[in-house]
Amino acid sequence: MAESLQIQLKKGVLEMCVLALLSKGDNYAYDIASRMADAVGMGEGTIYPLMRRMQNDGLVTTYLQESGSGPPRKYYKLTKAGATALKAQISDWLAFETAVRKILGEVI
Amino acid sequence: MNRANFLAQLRAGLSGLHQSDINDVIADYESHFADGVADGRTEDEVAAALGDPARLARELRAEIGFKRWEQERSAGNFFGVVLALIGLATIDILFLLPILGMMLAVFFGVTLVCVGCVIGGGILLGNLMLGGDGLMMGNQTLQMLTSIGLLSGGIGGGALLLLVLDWVARGLIKYARLHFRLFKSANDSI
Repeated sequence: MAESLQIQLKKGVLEMCVLALLSKGDNYAYDIASRMADAVGMGEGTIYPLMRRMQNDGLVTTYLQESGSGPPRKYYKLTKAGATALKAQISDWLAFETAVRKILGEVI
Repeated sequence: MNRANFLAQLRAGLSGLHQSDINDVIADYESHFADGVADGRTEDEVAAALGDPARLARELRAEIGFKRWEQERSAGNFFGVVLALIGLATIDILFLLPILGMMLAVFFGVTLVCVGCVIGGGILLGNLMLGGDGLMMGNQTLQMLTSIGLLSGGIGGGALLLLVLDWVARGLIKYARLHFRLFKSANDSI
């Protein structure tokens, strides 16, 4: 069977959600992954390929920071390009959402 | 599956990549396990929430392959991109193989011609520099012009070939990303 609509939708907005989380402050992958897993049911392991892709695309950068216990932690930080991408994706999302809601409004 | 099992499977899926890239990835997942355990979860729970290590390895291999290609346009890295794409199996192999085969043939053909031009031009020019003028019936100007033409043609052709290769690789990457099953896991959650 083809992927369900829900999976397709989530795929599309995952990057936007991560960008949005990071716009509120730098964070590390474990925390991002557990928030995303709770909110949209993403497999936690998926965060690492996704962060790598976003890093390749220049949307985020990383730095190491000492943590209280254990080895230093890798933090992700939004770049200027990342902030720009987030703005664009939010306005796309809102426009799309409004259009769909308008059509659905005739049914629900 | 416990931590050691998960990491072993992940490592197996990444084999063939640069050791530094593999270490990088393993460190990411190591610290994920450490954070999870510190969070009060068992290793098995963390591994289950992470998803299938073989599938993650395929996705990571693709991202790492793309990055390597963007950093350095070498034949080996191009091969890496192709391998990663085949691993992702997002591109229909039957559709991809003839195109790749044709590209490879053209690539080798053009490379041979370019190398031939450079060698030919080099010989003519070298002959001229060494004071010989017998290669073109004594016409030094003609020999000079021909050698320069061959040399610049060969080098220019090589550069053009790299550009085309880059363009093709980028196209493939873009296509694959659109079709990424990046978020599809075994149990059909994302």
